[in-house]
Amino acid sequence: MSSVDLKIVLVVLVTLAAYTVVASVIPQVESEVPMDIAFGAEVTPEELVEAGETIYRGAGGCVACHSESPGARGPNLLTDYRGEGLIGERCADRVPGLDCKEYLYQALVRPNDHIVDDYPPIMPPSDRALSQPQIWAMVAFLQAAGGEVTVTAADIPDEPGVATAPAPPPAPEPGAAQLADAPDVFRAQCVMCHQVGGEGGPIGPPMDRIGARLSEEELRLAILDPEAVIAEGYEDMAGIMPPNYGEILTPDEIETLVRYLSGLH
Amino acid sequence: MSGRIGGFSPRALGAGFLAVAVTALVAWPLAAQGYTPPMYGQDFPLVGSRVAVWIAAQVHLMFAAFVLGVPMFAVIAEAIGIWGKQERYDRLAREFTRLLLVAYSATAIWGGLLLFLLTTLYPGLWAYLSEIFRFSMWVYAALFFFESATLYIYYYGWDQWKKGRAKIAHWGMGILLNVWGTIVMFIANSWLTYMMSPPGEVTPDTAPAQVQFWSAFANATWMPINIHRLIANAVFGGSIVAAYAAYRFLKAKTPEERAHYDWMGYVGNLIAIGTFLVLPFAGYYLGREIYEYNQQMGITMMGGFMSWLWIVQAFLIGVLFLAANYYLWIGLGRIPGGERFAPYTKWMLAVLIIGFIVWATPHSIIANREELAAMGGTHHPFLGVLGVMSAKNTAVNAMILTTFLSFLMYRRANKVPVVPWARTGTLTQGILMAVCTVVILFYGVYGYFVPAIVRIGFSVYQVLAVLFTIVAVLVLDVLISRGATSRGEIRWGEMPDRAMYALFVLMVTFTWLMGLMGFARSGIRQHWHVWEVMRDTSEHAATPALGFAAQVISVCTLIFLAMIAFIFWLGGLVEKSKLVPEEEVDPALGPLALKGDGDASDPGLDPGLDPGLDPGLQPVPGT
Repeated sequence: MSSVDLKIVLVVLVTLAAYTVVASVIPQVESEVPMDIAFGAEVTPEELVEAGETIYRGAGGCVACHSESPGARGPNLLTDYRGEGLIGERCADRVPGLDCKEYLYQALVRPNDHIVDDYPPIMPPSDRALSQPQIWAMVAFLQAAGGEVTVTAADIPDEPGVATAPAPPPAPEPGAAQLADAPDVFRAQCVMCHQVGGEGGPIGPPMDRIGARLSEEELRLAILDPEAVIAEGYEDMAGIMPPNYGEILTPDEIETLVRYLSGLH
Repeated sequence: MSGRIGGFSPRALGAGFLAVAVTALVAWPLAAQGYTPPMYGQDFPLVGSRVAVWIAAQVHLMFAAFVLGVPMFAVIAEAIGIWGKQERYDRLAREFTRLLLVAYSATAIWGGLLLFLLTTLYPGLWAYLSEIFRFSMWVYAALFFFESATLYIYYYGWDQWKKGRAKIAHWGMGILLNVWGTIVMFIANSWLTYMMSPPGEVTPDTAPAQVQFWSAFANATWMPINIHRLIANAVFGGSIVAAYAAYRFLKAKTPEERAHYDWMGYVGNLIAIGTFLVLPFAGYYLGREIYEYNQQMGITMMGGFMSWLWIVQAFLIGVLFLAANYYLWIGLGRIPGGERFAPYTKWMLAVLIIGFIVWATPHSIIANREELAAMGGTHHPFLGVLGVMSAKNTAVNAMILTTFLSFLMYRRANKVPVVPWARTGTLTQGILMAVCTVVILFYGVYGYFVPAIVRIGFSVYQVLAVLFTIVAVLVLDVLISRGATSRGEIRWGEMPDRAMYALFVLMVTFTWLMGLMGFARSGIRQHWHVWEVMRDTSEHAATPALGFAAQVISVCTLIFLAMIAFIFWLGGLVEKSKLVPEEEVDPALGPLALKGDGDASDPGLDPGLDPGLDPGLQPVPGT
C-alpha cells in the first residue's frame, strides 16, 4: 500500500470517526415502545396517574406538541392556559354536556371533535397507537393536573384495544342490524368510522336503518362522492371520509356495499 | 469480463437467482395453505436481527444508488460527447459504465442477502408484504433481465456503434438503461413507503388480501421518495466519480493523466454539487407529505426523539458546503484571472460558517431536567432564537446562494466578455443576487412576527427567489460569455493534492448522509413494521439512539467503500490485462501481474484513459 493509499484510508477513517463521535456525544434518545398495561379492579388513582404520566412523557409522544413552549403546536396542558388553569381544572368547562373525564377521553380518541381555538386539527386519534388502558391512564394523569381523578377500573375495558366510551350506546334491539352480518368489505373499509348495531367507530353517522333513509342511488353516491351530501350533525366531519373509494374498491365491492346498506331497515 | 459460468455472466446469474428466489419466497406462503408463518425467526447471532437486516438493506441501497446514479452520469457525459463534439466525455462515460458491470453483481449479492435475511428473520412481515405486492415483486425481478441485457448492449456495443445514427441509438440504450433502473427503484420504493405510510383505510384488522394493490403501491410518500432518491442518486453518482478521479489523480504519473483526472474530478463534483443544491427542495416536499400523511409522524421526525438527528445532518451538510466551496476556491488558483476573486472568498467562508452554525442550532428537542436547567428553560435564551425554521431556512438558502456564487466565479475566472452589454449584464447579475439576498433575509426576519402556519409558507418564497436567481444569473452568464476571449487556458492538473482529499471527504460524507437519512426514514416508524398496522413486537422494537445508529452507519459506509475500492481496482486490472503485451507479464506472478507500478492509466497502456494527451482536446475554460 502506497503512502497515497494510506492517506486516503486515513481521510476516510477520520471523517467516519468524526461523524460517529458527533452523533455519539449529543444527547442519546431511544424511542420508547408503549408497554402493554392492564389494571385490576383495585387499581388506585395514584397508579393510574403514574402510568399515565409515563405514557404522556414517553411513548405517547404528547410533549412534542403539548410542551410548555409559547410556540407549541398544541395548547399547554400542564401549565395555566389563558387564565383558565391547568387541564385538570378547565376540562369540565370545555364542552357543554361533557364532564372532565368524558371530555378528556373524547379529546384523545376523537381529537378533531373539539379543537381549541387558534390551533390546527393536527392531533391523530390516540386509539390507533395506544390501548384503552393506556388511554384511560392518560385521562387520569391529565385530570390530576389541577383536578380530581375520577377514572376508575370500571371505566377501563378488560380487553385492550376494545373501543369504549364513557357513555356507551345502548345495546341493539333484538332483530336489529349486527356487524357480524356485514360483508367483509364493510368490515374492512367502513367499520372504523361507521357503527352498525352499536359496533364500530363513532366518527361518521351510524349505518343502522340507513336503507330506510337513502335509496340505492343515494348510497352509491355517498360512497363515491362523500362530500356531495353531508349527514346532518356531521358537518364538522366533512372531508374525513376518503373520496377515492371509486378507485380503491372494485365495482363488485361497491355494489356489495350498496346492497348491504340498502338492506339495513 | 471473464468469470462466466455455464455461458452466463455473474450478473445474469445473480439476477436470475434473485428472480427465482423472490418468486419462490413469494409463492411459499401461498402454497403452504393453512400454514401461518411465525412473526419472527430465530434472532440473528451477535448483532441481532434488526442490525443484520439494517446493514444488508443499507449496503444494498448504497450500491443501488451507485448503479442508478452512475448511468445518469454516463448518459449525460455521452450526450456532451456527441452533441458537444468532445470525445473525452465519451471516454469518461465508457470508463464508468465499465465499473457498473461489477457493481451490478455487488448490488444483486446484497439484495439477495437482504431478501434471505428478511424471509428468515422476519417471516411474518415478509408474508404480509408479499401477499400485497406479489405482482410488483415478479415484475421487479423480471426487470433485472431487461436492465442487465441493456447494460451489456450499452457497454459492449460502444465500439460497434460509435458513429452517426448508430451512436445516437447507442446513447438511446443508455437512456433505456436509466429507464429500467428508475422503474426498478420506483417499484422497490413502493414496498418501503407502504411500511411508512400505508393507506388510511388499512388497519391492523385488514387482511393483506383485502388491501387494494394500487392504493398500497402509490401510497402517500411513494412519489416524494421517488423524486428525492432520483436526485440523490445523481448526487451520489457524481461524488463517486469525483472520488474515483481524485484517486487516479493522486496516483497519476504523468501531467497528462493529472490533467485528465483533475478535469474528471471537476465534472463529477460539478454534477454532485449541482444536483445536491436541488435536493433540499425535494426533501422539503417529502417532509411536507409526511406531515400531510400523519402529523404525529412528522412531529416525531422533526421535533420528537429524532430531533437531534437533524443537528447531525446539519453538521454533515455544513461539511459538504465547506468542502465543495473549498474545492472550487482552490481550483481558482489554476485558472488565469482566478486570483482576482480570491479576496472575496473569506467573506463567503464567513457566510458559510455563520449559516452552518445557525443550521446546526437545535430548537425543538427533547431535553432532560438537567439540560432544561442548564438552558434556563425549554429553549436557550439566545440560541433558541436561531433554532427556529425562519433562521434555518434563511441560513440554508444563503449557503446555497454562496455556493452558486463560487461556481459563478469559477466560470468567469478566465473569461473576458466581449458583448457590448457585458458590464450591464454583470451589473444585472449583481442586482439579482442582491435582491435575492434581501428577499431571503426579509422573509427570514418577518417569519418571527407571524403565526407558524404563515411562516411555513415563507420558505416557499425564499426557495423560489433562490431558484429564480440561480437560473436567471446562469442564463445571463451564458449570454455574456458568448464569444468571450480567454485570459489563458485552465491549467488542468495543477491542482494541489489537498483539493483531491476534499473530494474524498465529499464522497464519504454523501455516503454517510445517505445512511443517516435511511435511518431517519425507517426510524420514524418507531415500533411499527407497518405504521399503525403491524406492530413490531420483537425485542428490537425500540428505535436505537443516534450514537448506536452512527456506528451501524459507519460500518455500512466502510463495507461499501471497501467494496467500491475493490471494484475500482478490479476495473483497472481488467483494463491492464487486456492491454499489456503478454511478454511484459511476469509468469511467476500470474497473468494479471504487471511490470512497473501497474497503474491502469499509464500512457500507452490504455488510449481510452489518457485523453489529456491531445492539447486540442483540453477542456475549455468553464466547462
